[in-house]
Amino acid sequence: MMILKKSGALILTAVLGLTALTGCGSKDGTAEPDQKTLVVAMELAYPPFETKDSSGNPTGISVDLAKAFGEYAGYEVKIENISWDGLIPSLQTGKADMVISSMTITEERKKTVDFSDPYANACLAILANKDAGISSIEDLNESGRKVAVKTGSTGYLYAQNHLQNAEIVALSDESACVTEVSQGKADGFLYDQLTVYRNWKNHEDTTQAVFIPFQDAEQWGIAVQKGNAGLLRELNSFIAEYRTEGGFGRLSEKYLGEEQKTFKELGFTWFFDFD
Amino acid sequence: MKKKFILKKNERPSLISAVLNWLLVCLFIIAAFWLSLHTIQATLDFTFVADFRIRLLKGFGMTLLLSLASFFTSLLIGVLSALGQGSRLQPLRCLCTLYVAFIRGTPLIMQIYLFFYIIGTAWGIHNRFLAGVLILSVFEGAYVSEIIRGSLLSIDSSQLEAARAVGFTPVQTIRNVILPQLAARTLPALTGQLASIIKDSSLLSMIAVIELTQTIREITATNFRLFEGYFFLGILYLCLTLPVSLASKALERRFYYEN
Repeated sequence: MMILKKSGALILTAVLGLTALTGCGSKDGTAEPDQKTLVVAMELAYPPFETKDSSGNPTGISVDLAKAFGEYAGYEVKIENISWDGLIPSLQTGKADMVISSMTITEERKKTVDFSDPYANACLAILANKDAGISSIEDLNESGRKVAVKTGSTGYLYAQNHLQNAEIVALSDESACVTEVSQGKADGFLYDQLTVYRNWKNHEDTTQAVFIPFQDAEQWGIAVQKGNAGLLRELNSFIAEYRTEGGFGRLSEKYLGEEQKTFKELGFTWFFDFD
Repeated sequence: MKKKFILKKNERPSLISAVLNWLLVCLFIIAAFWLSLHTIQATLDFTFVADFRIRLLKGFGMTLLLSLASFFTSLLIGVLSALGQGSRLQPLRCLCTLYVAFIRGTPLIMQIYLFFYIIGTAWGIHNRFLAGVLILSVFEGAYVSEIIRGSLLSIDSSQLEAARAVGFTPVQTIRNVILPQLAARTLPALTGQLASIIKDSSLLSMIAVIELTQTIREITATNFRLFEGYFFLGILYLCLTLPVSLASKALERRFYYEN
């Protein structure tokens, strides 16, 4: 008992000592913050928009965009890799200041967060199993059809709202969705044109791509915590200026040169083209 | 006052002091949780539960069904594997040892993907429920196998000699000597295993088996009530696992006295 009491007292003094120490430390640390830090959350699993390079550092269009904004508005940008489901909650809890993660502006999301002006737009497409006989979205909306979607993506929302007859297979990984389709477990996978195009190129013997647009283009925006009007103002003026000075063109060139050509041949609107 | 909080050696707490202590601890946990919520300025809104009650109920039922089906299948696999490990047939012995080592040495999430997309596809198991039960049974079977093997080893060989000396046939030996002791030693652990199965079944959401976790993931993906969703999920799992754990404890106590 005596020993217990002693060690208890020891721990107590240790804890007190530590708090005293960190107390001093933080006082020194807050002395002079030159630049405000801006925490930008994204899911680094969507190349080439947000992904990791071979040594594990964040890279991609969204990363460059975040850094360009940091330079423009005088922030030190810190990229946080957060899984898709956790992105909006990270804003709600203030763990992140903004989300740049190829996120479509939707009415539902707008109830929880605020969005900047759109900076890109994308269309959904279908990656279908080669033998499933899918030539349009209507073919998927039949009973007995299985539609793979990534949980929480706009493809998932579309399937829930418009493909009531089909069975929805909601998976957390994009690669799992593609595997389902290429193995014939699912008839089609709803995702954006670019990903569908890339995966079709990877699995040309088992899949086919259906690019006929079946909805209006989705617009991607940068999300901030609800009510953060100051940051939103800075973002909107940045997006407008970045667009006019050709920043998005440079990003396309750097990350998507080949795809941009193909998209032009197929007659699709490019991500960063706004009328 | 001190008597209410500190037990003497071998003393059982009185009803009042037990209730008091439990209440105090629960109060403390709730306060800490509430303080955390307050610090991050989150407010919880559980109204979605009513809107999605049918889906939640279905998911709950699915988890229960998955777990029970996997529990019984894993018992079968576990017994066979435990017997196989003690077999005199070398290849069978190697197979069972390898099975246990592989399953216990790799994460369930990797096994789910491997079995569903490679083995499941190759052998034509496309039904997600069936695939889920099989994957979970194979996984848990390895743990069941170890529980049973351990208990079998702990039965002293002198007892078997004694049984032979009294003239028991092998069947009589198993029925009257081995089984009663095996039951006493394995039942509490096996019941605890059911609680593990219930929790592990949540990982089957990875292959879109629409059980409880997948249901919550699908709901929170559209309404963004992530905290409420997972908080509620925890409570639902506790509703299943707590009674099972209590049953396991009760069995443990009962057989402890018998020994």
